[in-house]
Parts: sequence; structure tokens; C-alpha cells
Amino acid sequence: MTAVNGFYAGIDVGSLTAKSVIIDHSGIVAAKIIRTGAVPQKAGEAVFQKVLDRAHCRREEIRRIVATGYGRISLPFADKALTEISCHAKGVRFLNPDVASLIDIGGQDSKAITLNKDGSVADFIMNDRCAAGTGRFLEIMAGALEVNIDDFSRLSVRTGEPCQINSTCIVFAESEVISLLAAGNSRSDIAAGLHQSIARRVGTMARRLKPFKNTAFVGGVAKNQGLCRALENVLGAGFMPIDADVQITGALGAAIFAKEQVLQEQKNECHDVGTYKND
Amino acid sequence: MNVMTLEHTRTIDEVKTSFALALEMAKDEGHKVVGCLCSYFPREVAWAAGAITVGLCGTTQGPIEAAEQVLPADQCPMVKATYGRAINNTCPIFPLADCIVGETTCDGRKKMYEVLGREKSMHVMDLPQKPENPAALRYWIDEVHRLKGFLEAQLDCRITHDALLAAIEQGNRERVLLKRIHQCRKSHPVPIMGLDLVALSTSMSYTIDRKHYLKELESVLEELRRRIAAKQFACSADRPRILWTGLGNSLGCDKVLRLVEQSGGVVVCQEGCGGVTRMDDQIDPGDDPIEAIARRYLKVTCASMSPNNTRFEQIDRLITEYKIQGVIDLAWQSCHAFNIESFRVREVVKEKHGLPYLHIVTDYSQSDVGQLKVRIEGFIEQIKFGLGR
Ligand code: SF4
Ligand code: SF4
Repeated sequence: MTAVNGFYAGIDVGSLTAKSVIIDHSGIVAAKIIRTGAVPQKAGEAVFQKVLDRAHCRREEIRRIVATGYGRISLPFADKALTEISCHAKGVRFLNPDVASLIDIGGQDSKAITLNKDGSVADFIMNDRCAAGTGRFLEIMAGALEVNIDDFSRLSVRTGEPCQINSTCIVFAESEVISLLAAGNSRSDIAAGLHQSIARRVGTMARRLKPFKNTAFVGGVAKNQGLCRALENVLGAGFMPIDADVQITGALGAAIFAKEQVLQEQKNECHDVGTYKND
Repeated sequence: MNVMTLEHTRTIDEVKTSFALALEMAKDEGHKVVGCLCSYFPREVAWAAGAITVGLCGTTQGPIEAAEQVLPADQCPMVKATYGRAINNTCPIFPLADCIVGETTCDGRKKMYEVLGREKSMHVMDLPQKPENPAALRYWIDEVHRLKGFLEAQLDCRITHDALLAAIEQGNRERVLLKRIHQCRKSHPVPIMGLDLVALSTSMSYTIDRKHYLKELESVLEELRRRIAAKQFACSADRPRILWTGLGNSLGCDKVLRLVEQSGGVVVCQEGCGGVTRMDDQIDPGDDPIEAIARRYLKVTCASMSPNNTRFEQIDRLITEYKIQGVIDLAWQSCHAFNIESFRVREVVKEKHGLPYLHIVTDYSQSDVGQLKVRIEGFIEQIKFGLGR
């Protein structure tokens, strides 16, 4: 086996979904997404097995595994854990070298990241502990409107006049939605108002990082077209295209780290790049 | 605590409980106790009155619930925990204080002191908020005189010129030693982890015999210097060197500091209360010790002051002096002053030095630890992966 040959895996266990990507020297070989469920470790194992099957690959052929996401430390078979901040940055930059910043909205947090010219992380910011501006917020609001999450997004695009939603706290927003319904507002106007409120919150957070331009939108919530449009409006620019499923960029980045680290070690046997010695 | 091995394993509550025992014995011998709450408190005046000074700030989550029965929940945890400890009978030290002294720094403290004053005889010093204003010093000198009057009346004593000079001498010696201890961390790698130094210095600061305290500081300094000479470092050279600024660097409210060092960083310098910068300002007694004391304490930097430019000059200087690779700036939730100043900290760190900067807003609870881990590990990765650039 030559230096660059072989397969590398990234596994991203988030709060709602687990993702895994296998790459080789030329790019993505296979990717897989499943629901996380109650046990992150099981989800990590399951998604890894599924992506191996899809890639027609045996476990022994994977030269290194990097884990990321909330469940990153619960995977005993991973060689290393890195945060989704580094991994998303790496994955996005691989898919589109012109990207200079990104927004990732996941199940329980949202992040804005800016990149240096070489693709490394220049700065990042995350929502604080509250759930406003996360996938969880959208799910609960869809519940308050009694629609599923996909219809919720579709509804928001068909609005006449979006309602003004002022509460960012889940509990208050939920009761605000209920009063808006009671006052006779249409579901789509309320849905649009909710999307705008998240977009304003995430957009304002992102713009604390300067400069914030050439942005990619990734993570599960980036599949929500209503939110995409609303965020583009807040940021005043369209998102950069990403030529892959926007949900897998973290796992992809993890796989790329796995590969880079093997190559680096081959170059410099004794230099241990980026491992956390518990000294 | 062992000052020779620099080991420290006790929690802040254990430190305070055993200190309270010693304090009770000292009181039996006739010593008076003054409770203090902030870096602006001119401790030398209380020492000159023959009193033992003791910090009463709350740094743990426990007493917050009790405080919230009186104070609104959206106050900073420091304000709530300090008040809560005083009223829920869990602070072994509070009942032993003969009186307490506070200062008008932020709104939260100043309004909390109004209700805290019901529990114990209390004096609040009026701190001018624009210290660079020439009238500010004159006013503050008067305030230090008033403090002297208050303590003399409360403790039934006379504060003499000579006692003030002796107290100044003591304070200066403590500051010199503390400064040298902090400066040992310019060494790369450092001879002591950030958390260990915080634990050790918080716990040593609960002292009854200040001469003994000087001895302890001396042996800590000696041990640190010995370690550096013997190349016995606390960690390997590849840990990113972090400058800590803002709040959250004392024992008890140290959850973030702990996470930083668990995630592979090392805190090598602290700016602000509990850090190295306050140790620079010595007191030159001249002919009027009260005036000299006032002059020194007005130099303390705090976000409750405006425009507080010295803080940013110091951050700028420390980044270079301590070969800093990233800066963490912690503000407690609902602390408006430090939260707003973060914007200016970011400017110095990112724009002037081009270094990674992490702003953290949190409280004393453990509820956000998972989320904080992501941010802190991400920050350490940002430093490590960016190093080759
Ligand atoms: S941060 Fe400000 S209010 Fe708090 S102890 Fe320091 S000087 Fe006092
Ligand atoms: S943390 Fe901020 S709000 Fe709280 S006591 Fe200190 S200065 Fe005041």
C-alpha cells in the first residue's frame, strides 16, 4: 500500500443524527446518515457499519477513524476526537475552496465560523446555552403549529405577510405562536415569522465575526429552504454552493483530518500532530 | 495544602470551613474580623486597625437558590452567591465578621449591599467611576478617610500613622512576592498549571497570620524557581499558552478554567482580579499614608469603571510578555460591564495581535458544561491547527 492509498473514515454523532463518510485519496467514497436515538455510541457504530457496507469496504481497510460531534468521545473504536468546529471547516473548504465563512445549525446549537486563507479556523462563535436558533427550536415550533418539520419549512415559503415573532425563548415563543393562531393568523404567516426570527438571531450572531462573507450553510437545518432564504435575506448575500449533502460536511472533515494525520505521521514519524496528551 | 509540593486538593468550602475554625480561635483571643468583597477594598486600613480581613464573595452554586428568594434571578452569580451565603447560614465565616465593607462598583453589587447591610453592620465606600478625572482621587481619599473613621468606631480602636506604615509595608511585600510567583509562568513550559496556582493562591489568601502568609508565598516562589532550574515542568511544551482575562479565576467558580486545562491548554497568565496586573501597583507611603493607599486602590481596573483603558493596555502587554497563543475572556451572565468590554478585548486580541480569542458567558452551574467543552476544545484546535500558518 503506498502512502496515499487506503480509506479513511469520519463519524459525526450529533444530537439528532449520526453521519459517517469514507474517503480515499481522490475524494468521497460513501456517506450515510441515520437518526442518533438514545445511545450515541450505538448510533456511531451503526452508521459506521452502514457506510462500510455502502463503500463495499472492510473495517481493516480503514486506516484511521476520526470522530466528531456531541458523541465524539463515546466512540471507543475511533482513533481520535475533534470538535465539529474544526471538522466542518475542513469539510466545507474541501468541497468549495472559495468559502470564507460558514454557518452550521445543528440539533442543539448553532455556530458561525470564519476561515483563514489556508482554510484553518480564524474565529468562531456559538449560541449560548439557550435553544433559540437551533434545530430543536424549529422542531418544537413545528409541533406548536401541528405540522411536521418538512411541511413547516414549505409553509414558511408560501407566506403573504410574515408575523412578527419577538420571543427567542422556546417557552415564550411557543405561547406567542398559540396566541397568534388564536388571533386568526395563517399557519404559513406564523411559520414564516418563526423562520425570520431564527434567521435574525443566527445572522446577528454571525455578523459579530468580521468579515463574514462567502458563506456556506451546512448542518441538518441547512436543508430547510425557508430558513435558507430567510438567512440569505438577513446576511444580504446568497450562500456559496456545496457540492454534497450539507449534512455530512462535519463527518467529511473528520475523514480528511484522519487522512492528513496519517500522511503527516509518515512524513514526520516522531512528531505527534494535534493529539491531546494528558500530561 | 502543601506549599512545598504545591499540591492542593481541597474545595473552597473545605478551605473556608477550616479557616473559620482558626478564625474563631483568633476571635477568642480578641482579634476583630472585617469582611471584604472586592479588589477596591483598601485592606491596609483594616490591618492597621489590627483586624483580620477575610473575603466573603460567593463562588459556588449552592447558595444561589436562597438568594433568588430576594434577588431577581437575572443577576450575576457572584452577586447572588455572595448574598445567598450570607443569608442561608452555610457560610461559616460570615457570622464571625464584626463588620463588612463593600464598594459601589457595579449596580448589582451596590443594590445587593443595601439588603446585605441588614444582616451585618456594613459600610459601603463610594467609588468614583471615572478614575482618570482629577477630582476622582480627591474624592476617593476622602472615602478612605471615612473608612478609617468607620473602622475606628466599629472596632473601637485608633488607627495610628505607624500602624498604617506597617500595614503598607506588609501589603507591598505580599504584592512583590505574588508578582514574582506569577512571573515564574513566563517560563516555557510553565512550572505550575493555571488551576493549581489558582487553587493554591485562593486557599493561601485565607490567612490569619499575615507574616506566616509571607513565608508561605516565599516557599511557593522558591519551589517554582527550583522547578524551573531543574526543568521540572508542569506540562509538555505543546500545550497552547492561554491568557485568562475577565472573571472566573478563583477556586470554586473555576469550571471553565478546569475545562481549558482538561482540553489540552494551559493558563499561563491571568489579567484582572486574582491575576498578575494588580500586583504591579505598590504603595509609596510618603508623608500621608491614607492618601498613598487611596492612590494605589484607585488604580485597580474593573469593567465597572469608565473608560477602563488600563485593562486593554495590560492585556496588550501581557500577550507579548507571556508569549500568549490564545486569550479566553470570561464574563458572568448578567454582568453587563464585563460583557460589553469583551468587544474591546476582542479588538486587542484579534486585530492587534491576530490571536484566537474566546469569549465565554456562563454562570456557576454545571448545566452548560457539554456545550462549553465543544467551544473550548474547538478553541484549542484552532490554536494548534493554526500554529504552522
Ligand atoms: S471585578 Fe470589579 S467588582 Fe469584581 S472584585 Fe474585581 S474590582 Fe471588584
Ligand atoms: S461579575 Fe459583574 S455584575 Fe457581577 S459583581 Fe462582578 S462586576 Fe458586578
